[in-house]
Amino acid sequence: MSSMAPTKIFITDVGIISALGMGFEKISEALSQNPHIASVKDYEFHQFEKEIPAHLLPDYNPEVVLGKKGLRLKDHSTKLILGTFETGFKNIMEASDEANRPGICIGTAFGSIQSIGDFLSDSIVNGVGNVNPQAFANTVINAPTGQANIRYCAKNLSATISTGFNAGLDALIYTFNYLKCGYLQSVVAGGLEEVSYYSLLGFMRAGILASEAPAKPFNVSSKGVVMGEGCALLLLETEESVKTRSAKAIAEIAGTGSTFDSDAAQSGVSNGDAGKQAILIACKEAGISPEQIDFVASGASGNPVADKLEAKAVALALGSKVPVTAYKRFTGECYGASGAINTLCALSDMKNNRISGIGENYTSLDGINVVFSTIQKNSTYALVTSFACDGNCSALIIKNVN
Amino acid sequence: MSENRVVITGLGLVTPIGTGVEKFWQAALKGTNGVRPLQIFDPSEYRTKTGGEVLDFVAEEYLKPEDIARMGRSSQFAVAAASMALNDSGLDMSKADPYRLGVSMGTTMGEPQILEKGVNIKYKTGNCHDIPADLPRQYPCGSIPANIARIFGFKGPHLIVPTACAAGNYAIGYAYDLIRLGKIDAAFCGGSDPFSGIAFTGFNRLLATTPDIVRPFDLNRSGMAVSEGAGVLIIERLDKALVRGARIYAEIIGYGLGCDAFKMTIPDPTGSGGILALNRSIKNSGVSSDEIDYICAHGTGTGENDKSETLIVKEVLGEKAKTTPVTSLKSMLGHTMGAASAIEAAACSLMIERQVVLPTINYETPDPECDLDYVPNTPREMKLDVVISNAYAFAGNTSSIVLRKYKG
Repeated sequence: MSSMAPTKIFITDVGIISALGMGFEKISEALSQNPHIASVKDYEFHQFEKEIPAHLLPDYNPEVVLGKKGLRLKDHSTKLILGTFETGFKNIMEASDEANRPGICIGTAFGSIQSIGDFLSDSIVNGVGNVNPQAFANTVINAPTGQANIRYCAKNLSATISTGFNAGLDALIYTFNYLKCGYLQSVVAGGLEEVSYYSLLGFMRAGILASEAPAKPFNVSSKGVVMGEGCALLLLETEESVKTRSAKAIAEIAGTGSTFDSDAAQSGVSNGDAGKQAILIACKEAGISPEQIDFVASGASGNPVADKLEAKAVALALGSKVPVTAYKRFTGECYGASGAINTLCALSDMKNNRISGIGENYTSLDGINVVFSTIQKNSTYALVTSFACDGNCSALIIKNVN
Repeated sequence: MSENRVVITGLGLVTPIGTGVEKFWQAALKGTNGVRPLQIFDPSEYRTKTGGEVLDFVAEEYLKPEDIARMGRSSQFAVAAASMALNDSGLDMSKADPYRLGVSMGTTMGEPQILEKGVNIKYKTGNCHDIPADLPRQYPCGSIPANIARIFGFKGPHLIVPTACAAGNYAIGYAYDLIRLGKIDAAFCGGSDPFSGIAFTGFNRLLATTPDIVRPFDLNRSGMAVSEGAGVLIIERLDKALVRGARIYAEIIGYGLGCDAFKMTIPDPTGSGGILALNRSIKNSGVSSDEIDYICAHGTGTGENDKSETLIVKEVLGEKAKTTPVTSLKSMLGHTMGAASAIEAAACSLMIERQVVLPTINYETPDPECDLDYVPNTPREMKLDVVISNAYAFAGNTSSIVLRKYKG
């Protein structure tokens, strides 16, 4: 049977492409500057009436990173995940023999909803008998993950997790548990999401898209989110694997917690208990008390309902003193990718002995200590959270091992 | 670390041959064909005009009107199947810690009918502002487990694994792991997919659909059929189930995952990913290949899948493959996508409980390249102790799950 001997799970490599730039080293500088904001308006089958602000990818050119060959049928999400692999994990994927190659687990809300919607639009505009059959493969939510498995002949695991805003964090939690069960020694896990016409339209119709950028997480009068896109990947390894290949750990995933807030899902209003429980479960698994959390990398995005849920849960579990930051000010709401991106931002801050501030002072929600100006701090434990108005509550604790 | 054993104590099914566990079972025993001329839309523009629709599903029997209004067909199927499974299990929610109850679901397309509705409104009126404001939030596939968790008050971990047509096995496997790890006591797990115009168009354009009926492993097999449905299981810690005197259908003893890493829409003809998953499932279960009594095949009815799957079974089971029955429920159901392996896991639970193997229908002409015992056309009574269910998917995802008759 698969071994369930206790093992620690470490993060030994990371890669990212987002509005913060391409590569982990870019994060620190980007969090010290004004957010990079672009806009979108025109897509192949649809157009918006005006430019929509969004956090896009300032320095990623798929042709440069991946080469021109074979890109024609790859959609934006696939190019994004392959680019992140290529810039962060190419060596580990190609150097290890096939039997020991890391598995892949990706969190995403939609895969490529642009591909799904365009396949449908194409069939409406041009007729069902004229759509490109090769485009159909891109309509399954796990398509980008599968494309990564194919490119690197990674046969050990191909998993996709989809829990909306929490997908990136939940993919890390899924992988943490998978490795704890002893099925594999290493998995590249993370989150992926693209800015698309269809997701923008959905957020717009749902009334949670801000008209101005950047967004104002935890602002008492926030009007909504600014969309972003990106991919963040982490190599998670068992302690045995780290020792065997003499790898250097960046951090340890010390504990995880997942709960569901049925009140929030029902009405958007909650007493915060489910979120609190997710944090406390993660602390218990990490073997620490809530007071030992040095800072919170929150999922706050400017969504007024979700930000209130998150503030309430953090205050209930940790009190009002622990510093709480919100990287989505800089990355935008990267939806299924955001939990993984926030984890990398927290790792960057831990590495640089600081907690990055939002960069603008405004009146924030009561009960929590929002970091507006960057503070210097040596941190041992960072808590990454995601509490969404669809009821998902996820918490992950990373431990600085350096 | 002591491991918790995991048992199946409740089942719920929504399928093209019947909604409800007993309705499904009786129809399957009779070898009912659920692939029929489509009613959901006019298929005259398509090469294929058949599919597996659930025609007897009445949402109002399981859901309040306000819940029907706020969820798509995939969620409706899933909640209905979950309701059946919960009732079947007899789990007393008033005695359970809600934070130790999880939900783990699988899907291929999620809620495609929601996207199809929204895009069609956009084209019909030319105005995206005509799309109802509450429609977009029904689309993300994460709404499927969220709707189950919300309605039944399960507050523990919950997620959806959209690993296409292997998704049900992935979802059941994750819930099994959470119980083994001691993180939860019980879970809803399974899969759900509604009939998808996108999938129907796509499989038609790939020429993967049969023009009439599904004939898995038959020499004259002509393709798969797009179908819809849901399967949900209640699984729980053995000790908890025993304390409350629950009916135990079967024990989950392990599973294995793999990947072809070959092509997006075609299985590896050497069966590499399937062999990996099947071998892992047997190893993780602590049984030997000689102990396998029956395999519930992925068995889509396409030339590539059935040939590759036969090879996989022969490679892993060796000589034992010749005497191990292998059947395809998709001969009756069509391909219910992300629900398929969940429905098949529920069917395997029933087969173990009732010691009967359900048949592969529409089987007439043996294929020299598919030379196993496919239990053609009529069910077979036999001893079933250890049973495996395979599921494969787009992007090369492969999975096998192992169930065993509970013996104490």
